[in-house]
Amino acid sequence: MTRTIELYGRLRGSGLGDRVKVELPPRATARQALAALKTALGRRGNLLDGCVLATGDDVLAAADLVPDGGRLAALPPVCGG
Amino acid sequence: MRRVTRSRLDVAALAAAVSSPKHGGLSTFVGVVRSVHAGRRVKGIEYDCFIPLAERELARILAQAEKKWPARVEAVHRVGSLKAGEASVAVAAGSMHRAEAFAACRWVIDEIKTRLPVWKKEKYLKGEGRWLPGCSIRHRHP
Repeated sequence: MTRTIELYGRLRGSGLGDRVKVELPPRATARQALAALKTALGRRGNLLDGCVLATGDDVLAAADLVPDGGRLAALPPVCGG
Repeated sequence: MRRVTRSRLDVAALAAAVSSPKHGGLSTFVGVVRSVHAGRRVKGIEYDCFIPLAERELARILAQAEKKWPARVEAVHRVGSLKAGEASVAVAAGSMHRAEAFAACRWVIDEIKTRLPVWKKEKYLKGEGRWLPGCSIRHRHP
């Protein structure tokens, strides 16, 4: 299935804009989704170091299944304040 | 109350939200965009945010603070483009005694800085801006 992953922070400087579509297998995990995103980033894949995948409700652990619906976002290390 | 906003922060309203005749201590913290950072003159910061998760995470932080201390706590974070000197985040804690108010206020801003999905891009008077390094939230979700 095709899913859209929103990009934030330094990932917006990746050249992909503020979102990217990735192709995921059925019952994909957050780890697989990040791997697909890394492929999409190509030579800028190192921007994903320290990043996590999140929904609008919570951060997903690497082994968590990607929910079927709702928003998905790749979150770089945070620095609020 | 919207806790993530593009509007200018109203610290007095935030303090009023946690005040009570029972509270002998009221502590506030306001974070402000610095005009100089690491020797470079800063004209402003662009705050990026994953708003739905930030709203939920901030609510969780405040609820945890109110479990840890006998205090009422509120906080608001501004996003968007801010100029140097503008307030970016504010926390207020009211409690019967000052020790709990100080402690809760300090704890909340520390948690905000390491848990809220917010990112800062500094803009300089000279040269290109840059995204500031941050704290990975992976360790909380192995």
